[in-house]
Amino acid sequence: MTEAAAKDRPHRGTIFVEDAEVLDVEAWPAEQFIMRLVAPQCAAHARAGSFAHVTCDPALPMRRPLSLMRADPGSGVIEFLFKIVGDGLRLLAQRRPGETVSVMGPIGRPFTPTPGRRRPLLVGGGVGIPPMVFLAEALGPAARDGLVLMGSEVPFPFDPADSRLDVAHLPQGVVAAMPLMENLGVPSRLASLGGFPGCYPGYVTELGREWLRGLDAGALQEVEIFACGPTPMLKAAAALARDFGLPCQVSLEEYMACAVGGCAGCVVQVNTPAGPAMKRVCVDGPVFEAAAVDWGAMQH
Amino acid sequence: MTATTTDTNPLALDFCGLRFASPIVLLSGCVGFGEEYTRVVGFSNRDAGAVVLKGTTGMARLGNPPHRIYETPQGMLNAIGLQNPGARQVVEEILPTLDFGETRFIANVSGSTIEEYVEVTRLFDDSPIDAIEINISCPNVKEGGVAFGNYPEMSARVVEACRRVTSKPLITKLSPNQTDIQENARRCIEAGTDAFAVINTVMGMAIDAEQRRPVIGNVQGGLSGPAIKPIALLKVHQVHQVAQRHGVPIIGQGGIVSARDALEFIIAGAAAVGVGTALFYDPLVCRKINEGIRDYLGRHGFGSVAQLVGTLELPGAPAAAAGRAAG
Ligand SMILES: Cc1cc2nc3c(=O)[nH]c(=O)nc-3n(C[C@H](O)[C@H](O)[C@H](O)COP(=O)(O)O)c2cc1C
Ligand code: FES
Repeated sequence: MTEAAAKDRPHRGTIFVEDAEVLDVEAWPAEQFIMRLVAPQCAAHARAGSFAHVTCDPALPMRRPLSLMRADPGSGVIEFLFKIVGDGLRLLAQRRPGETVSVMGPIGRPFTPTPGRRRPLLVGGGVGIPPMVFLAEALGPAARDGLVLMGSEVPFPFDPADSRLDVAHLPQGVVAAMPLMENLGVPSRLASLGGFPGCYPGYVTELGREWLRGLDAGALQEVEIFACGPTPMLKAAAALARDFGLPCQVSLEEYMACAVGGCAGCVVQVNTPAGPAMKRVCVDGPVFEAAAVDWGAMQH
Repeated sequence: MTATTTDTNPLALDFCGLRFASPIVLLSGCVGFGEEYTRVVGFSNRDAGAVVLKGTTGMARLGNPPHRIYETPQGMLNAIGLQNPGARQVVEEILPTLDFGETRFIANVSGSTIEEYVEVTRLFDDSPIDAIEINISCPNVKEGGVAFGNYPEMSARVVEACRRVTSKPLITKLSPNQTDIQENARRCIEAGTDAFAVINTVMGMAIDAEQRRPVIGNVQGGLSGPAIKPIALLKVHQVHQVAQRHGVPIIGQGGIVSARDALEFIIAGAAAVGVGTALFYDPLVCRKINEGIRDYLGRHGFGSVAQLVGTLELPGAPAAAAGRAAG
C-alpha cells in the first residue's frame, strides 16, 4: 500500500489477534469471574470503553465480546470481568492458568470525556462495571470531583468497604464504596436491591439523581454521565441526563459475529439528522451518545 | 467459460475470465463492503481470490430489527435484512475507496422486483466492479430473495433480465431451500448465467424458552457455518452435474472453515470456495486454507486447483482421470 493510501485508510491494522495466556481466573459469587491474560498489543492500544472478541472454546463457532476492565501497557496484562450467561462464557470460565485463548482487540469507539466537564458521573450496573473501572482509572485524579456509582442485584465482584471520602447530598447510611476507587481518591457508592449493608436500597440511577439534585447550577454545568449496564439501567441513565440537561455517553451491548463492522449483525437504531440509522455496536460504538439512541427500538 | 490455470501459482485460477490469486472467495454479508476486515492486523484481501460485497438494493435499506444474529450448534443464524446504503451510494462512494489491485471485487445484487435487480445490475455494470452476483436466495427479506430463487421459472426471469444489461461475469447464487436445484441451475444456464454460487444460507429459527419468544428479531433467519456443510456439499455436487456440461463454474460455500473443507468442495465440483462464517472465529483463516490447499496439491501431484475440480470418484463409475479440468 502507498503512503497516500495508508492515510486514506486509518482503520487498517488497528485490531490485533493474539494468543493470550491465561494468568488467573478469580471466582466471585453469582457466577462472576475476573480473568487476567497476557495480550500485549491489546493492552497497549486499549482505551476506556474498548472491548475484545474472545474465543471461549474451540468447540464453539463464535467468539464472545467482552469489555476490557483493565489494560496495562507495561506488563501487557488485560483483565475481563464477566458473569456467566450462556455456554460460551461458561466454557471460558473453565480455562485454567497457562492455557491460551485467542484475543482480538482492542475494538470500538471509546469514551471521550468532554473537556471542562470535570464532574464525571460514572454509572455501572452488573456486567457493565468493567468499562466504568477502566474509565475511572484512566481519569484518575481528574474524577475526584465526580462520583462513581455501581449497582448490582447479586453480591459485588469485589469486597465493598465503608467510604472515607465524603459525598454531599447522599441519603443517610449510604456508605459502601469500591476500595479500588477509594485508593484512587475517587468517591464511589453502591446501590442494590439485594439488601447489602451500606448500599443504597434502590436503582443506581436513582442514587445518581439524589446526587445531581444536590448540585448547584454551576456544578451541574460540569457534569457528564457515563454509563454501562443492562438496557433498563441505560434507559434510566439517558432519562436522568435528559432531566438535568447533561451530556451522557452509554456503552451498549449486542450479539456479535465479526466485531469488525463486516456483518451488520450487532446494530442499534440511532437517530441522525438524516433520519433513523442502524449503527454497528462493534465499530460505530460500543459507546454512543445516549440522546441519539432510539431506546424504544431497543431489545431487552 | 471455464476455470483454468493461468500461471505458476498453483492456487491461481481463471474464473470467468478473471484472475483469482486464490480459490478463496470472501462471502457476501460477512466482509461488509470490502474494507472492514482490513482493520485486523495480518488480514489482507490479497489472500482471497475475490471479495463479494454486501447485498445491495436499489434504495437504501435499514435492515431488520435486532437481534440479527445468534450462535447455534456448529453454526449461526442471521437475519440482517440486506442493510445497505443503496446501489448508487455503493458505486459512487464506496467503490472508489477500494483497492482493486488487491483482489477482485464482486457486487451482490438483490431486489424486491425484477426491475430493481435490473436497475442495480445496470449501475454496477457501469462501474469498476469485476463481476456481479445475483442474490436470488436471501431468506431474510419479505419480497424478492428466495421468493425468486425457490422457483426455476422466476430465477430464470431474473437472470435473463440482468443478463441483458451487463456483459460482466454474472454469478447466480442459488438457495438450498428449494425442491429441485438441478432444474433451477439448468434454467439459469439457459438464461445466461456465467457461474453459480452454491449455497446461500438454510432457513432456520431459534427460540428463547424462558421468554417464549423467537431470539431473532425477524423470527426466522439463515443458518450458516459448519452445521450446513453436508447440505452444501451435496448441492454443489448436484449443480456440478448440470453445470460442468456447459463449462459453468461454481463457487462452493457453506460451512468451510479449513483447507480440508475447501478441498472437499473442490472435489465435489467447486472451482472456487467461499469463506464467510469461519472468519468470525478466525479472521486470519484464509492464509491457513491457502497453505493447506497448496500442501495437498503438492502431495497429490496436482499442478493447479483447476485439475482437482470435480475429481470425485463415485462408486461404480470408472475412476476419473486425475488432472482433468472442470467443465
Ligand atoms: C451475517 C451474514 C450476512 C449475509 N448476507 C448475505 C448477503 O447480503 N447476500 C448474500 O448473497 N449472502 C449473504 N450471506 C450468506 C453468505 O454469503 C454465505 O452464502 C453463507 O453464509 C454460507 O457460507 P458460510 O457458512 O461460509 O458462512 C450472509 C451470511 C451471513 C452469516
Ligand atoms: S459484529 Fe459484525 S458488524 Fe458488528
